Amino acid sequence: MQFADIIFLIIIFVTMIGALVTVLSGSIIYAMIGLVTTMFGIAGIYVYLNAPFLAMMQILIYVGAISILIAFAIMLAGPLYKNPKEWTTITKFIASLVVSVFSFLVFFKVIMHASWMNTKAKEFTVTTKEIGRALFDKLTFPFELISLLIIVSIIGAIMLALLSKGEE
Amino acid sequence: MNELNNIISIIGKETTRAIIGLIGVMVLVVINALILTWAERKVAGHMQRRIAAKEVGPFGLIQPIADSIKLLGKELITPVNVERPLFYLAPTLIFVPVLVSFVVIPFGSYLQVKDINVGILVILAFSSLSVLSILIAGWGSNNKYSLIGAIRSVAQNIAYEIPLLLSLLAVVFMVNSLSLKDIVEAQRGLWFVILQPFAFIVFFIASVAETNRTPFDLPEAESELVAGYHTEYSGMRFALFFLAEYTNIFIVSAIATTFFLGGYQGPILPGIVWFFIKTYFLVFVILWMRWTFPRVRFDQLLNFSWKVLIPASLVNLIITGGMLKL
Repeated sequence: MQFADIIFLIIIFVTMIGALVTVLSGSIIYAMIGLVTTMFGIAGIYVYLNAPFLAMMQILIYVGAISILIAFAIMLAGPLYKNPKEWTTITKFIASLVVSVFSFLVFFKVIMHASWMNTKAKEFTVTTKEIGRALFDKLTFPFELISLLIIVSIIGAIMLALLSKGEE
Repeated sequence: MNELNNIISIIGKETTRAIIGLIGVMVLVVINALILTWAERKVAGHMQRRIAAKEVGPFGLIQPIADSIKLLGKELITPVNVERPLFYLAPTLIFVPVLVSFVVIPFGSYLQVKDINVGILVILAFSSLSVLSILIAGWGSNNKYSLIGAIRSVAQNIAYEIPLLLSLLAVVFMVNSLSLKDIVEAQRGLWFVILQPFAFIVFFIASVAETNRTPFDLPEAESELVAGYHTEYSGMRFALFFLAEYTNIFIVSAIATTFFLGGYQGPILPGIVWFFIKTYFLVFVILWMRWTFPRVRFDQLLNFSWKVLIPASLVNLIITGGMLKL
């Protein structure tokens, strides 16, 4: 086993542990920390794939902004100490089992049938400049579409906040 | 020397550089904290027409060492109802961003642990971990003062991270690179503080807020929150929070030096000396601000960021982009 393989296994291990903690933990704050660990693991995979810009963005956005906001919302929501585990009742357990098995099969099918580029042959380096070029050149339309989606969701969030305040 | 060559041949040049660099970083972190605890007392003292520390050693220079021995010897108290794993995790976690940031800062033209082509993003990405650890500390302590401090810290950090990023982006526009070394090299002759005075001011204000220093020290406001998120910590765990705070002051000053004040560049003296002169000048300004400005109110703090700093830095960014394209 090579050094790189060991690193890869460690990254996968950290990601999986984080994901398991997120799903299985009874306390919501531990679930959030598990989520952060998973995000770090995914950033590690990006670094492993020689995409440091993507990795840093992953940490900056998912750990720095989204997880912190989640934590903020949790703390403002009130005391949430010993919550009962959500998946303990039998119906919920069966439902989650069905969902996870189904999504596993879907992903398995997709991963097995996708044609993967053989990146081993050529040097794979993507600079920040090339990412910027691609975003505003080839991929302008999907990029703008995503920003539209974000605007719609922001407006939705504002509307929800206004409605819960009791304003028309 | 022979042994060193042997080691290098076994583990590789890059790894050796990283290990030596990290040892250097550890030493620098501790020495910097010792100097800053002393400097903070002295600056505070002289600003208030006192003499400050003078008993231990000449000019009280040994005082920080005496302090750290005291802190090392203190009992580590764990209150009964704290969330134990989180309580232990927080002081450790707050040190991760501190150590990572030092890896990419260029202290001299060759004195850099590793030049990463997304250098500044590394610092900004990992600095968010310190907010997370403050949150964990505040929540894990199971103390209302800690929790209020932590919540304030998050609101403050979210608000001030945006102008911080935008002001640095203006410089990145001009250099066309995210590598800190390229940014310093681009300032040969003319510092960016002259071309981007506004971005420098915004960055400096936002960085003082990010390090939770007065006038933005609401997360640990002594007069209302006891000590904020580290109320329940004692001994070495408390010392780790303080070490991280002082190192953060150094890091934001070092980034300001790198981005706006020409980094290690300067006449006659070697680069590293210039780097430390500029950095410690900015550190002194931050210490000075603590004894000059009163603490702002929380609504003033957030309004200032969202209504003044963010629009202004966006305008600055648009003007910079326009000027570059002309």
